[in-house]
Amino acid sequence: MNKYLGNKPALALFLLPALILYSVILIYPVLQTVLRSFYDWDGLSTLTFSGLSNYRELFSDPLLATSLKNGLIFAIVLAVFQIGLGTLLALICADPRTRGRKILKTSYFIPVVLSVTVVCQLWIAIYDPTNGLINRLFDLLNIPYQQNWLSSPTASIIAIAFVNAWQFMGYQFALLYAGVKSIPEDYFEAATIDGCSKWRAHWHVTLPLMRETYKFCFIIAITSGIGAFVQMLIMTNGGPGTTNYTLTFMIYRYAFMESNYGYACAVSVLLVLISLLATVVINKLFDRGQTA
Amino acid sequence: MSKTALSKFRQAVLQIPLWLYFIVSVYPLFWMVSYSFKNNDEIFVSNPFGLPTHFRYENYINAWTQFNIPRYFLNSLVVSTISTLFILLLALMFAFAVARMRWRFRSAVRTYMIIGMFMPLQVIMIPLAILVRDFHLTNTYGALILPYIAIGLPFSSMIFYGFLTAIPKEIEEAACMDGANIYRLFLKIIMPLALPAIATVAIFQFLNNWNEFTLAYILISDENMKTLPLGLLFFQGSYSTDWGAMGAVMTMASLPMVLVYLFLSEQVERAMTVGSAVKG
Repeated sequence: MNKYLGNKPALALFLLPALILYSVILIYPVLQTVLRSFYDWDGLSTLTFSGLSNYRELFSDPLLATSLKNGLIFAIVLAVFQIGLGTLLALICADPRTRGRKILKTSYFIPVVLSVTVVCQLWIAIYDPTNGLINRLFDLLNIPYQQNWLSSPTASIIAIAFVNAWQFMGYQFALLYAGVKSIPEDYFEAATIDGCSKWRAHWHVTLPLMRETYKFCFIIAITSGIGAFVQMLIMTNGGPGTTNYTLTFMIYRYAFMESNYGYACAVSVLLVLISLLATVVINKLFDRGQTA
Repeated sequence: MSKTALSKFRQAVLQIPLWLYFIVSVYPLFWMVSYSFKNNDEIFVSNPFGLPTHFRYENYINAWTQFNIPRYFLNSLVVSTISTLFILLLALMFAFAVARMRWRFRSAVRTYMIIGMFMPLQVIMIPLAILVRDFHLTNTYGALILPYIAIGLPFSSMIFYGFLTAIPKEIEEAACMDGANIYRLFLKIIMPLALPAIATVAIFQFLNNWNEFTLAYILISDENMKTLPLGLLFFQGSYSTDWGAMGAVMTMASLPMVLVYLFLSEQVERAMTVGSAVKG
């Protein structure tokens, strides 16, 4: 049997195509990025070792502060909207007395399968200052809160983050809903019989048991906030000015518009480190709760 | 009000947020489809919110004939189908070798593959662009297909790995007794057994590849090679004055995926959320 399942040629045939492709296209470029971040490099020929100078330059780059701040705002909008509101909706929707659950779940999920380009352009139209849905709605209701949503230096990052939050709400909702459903009903019933109100029972029983679900939801929300790019690119091209820059937008600009590849690699390394750090911190936070 | 009536009433009130969010989720799409049948006057002045009074399907004809939409569709279909097929095959073979075959470094190799799931894609953007250029793949299907396969492998092989380890060990013994060689075992027994997992991974990867934007944006510049998400980007400028046609383009681009989703909603949701079990 060992010989049968240790068949060397078969092993090579099964393993190598995946391993080679994965190594050449994913792992090798990661190593390249790390290595090149220590060089001055225009993407074509001249490679000059420059030690940590890219990193030193990066930390005095005013775009870094903007990008980190925007990444944080983006992540907070996603977390509050998708996880906060998503939890509320999932708890109500999971109640067996709720009608139309199938329609609700399906309609929340539809935006997830749409192309991000369509969603962004749809929201450009919705945010349009004169003909857009939002300002028209305010007109209709006589609320004087019309804005130039995408060209306001303060509101636009939130408006853009909301587009991502809206599109992937259904995804997070599906995870949270599955999380609520995975908890045996009798835990919740026992708590309500013991005199807990429904919402207290959810707070003390349902939510703590969904630790794994929340861990994953937060990792998704925070890391996609930090790495945000497409929405900025399509909706405002990083503007107005540079107010909507993110780390990925910096990588894109320095590498592909200014041919400052070495520097862009340093930004990439920073992005990975921040994403990993966020993942580790979220894991730690949720695991610590477990032993307490 | 009796006690049951009161509780029914409270239950109904509690459901209001669900239906409010239903509107938030669906109305923008309804708005998009309805303005795809309107002209500018109706969209801007006479009838911005409701159904079109007169269905101007000429918007669709204009959009389809004047622009490259059929070409974008074809490109997306080719790229997504080919990369999904290869992901399925390579990931299943890899998972089979790691989950069922016996050799020394299998857990190390498995860990090596898992690393890819946690790597933000932005980190490979620059070297990948250079790699594609050096291999002379720029503006070919290969420029997208090869990266999409590689990126799809870690996640897919872990799904298959989880599935294959759950199959009882006696399968191989029986196959060996019957004189089936290992390739026959893989093709005739393992593959059919893995069909449910294959379906899940196929849906997940096809959707991902169909909607992928960032890499396509960096690696493709030739108009004839653009995929749908990329091609649509450039309607913004050319259509800024004709919202109806813009709406028609966007509706046409969305329709296939929405229909697939409506027909297979359970499977699509399961496929898209299965990642939580693996990554978490």
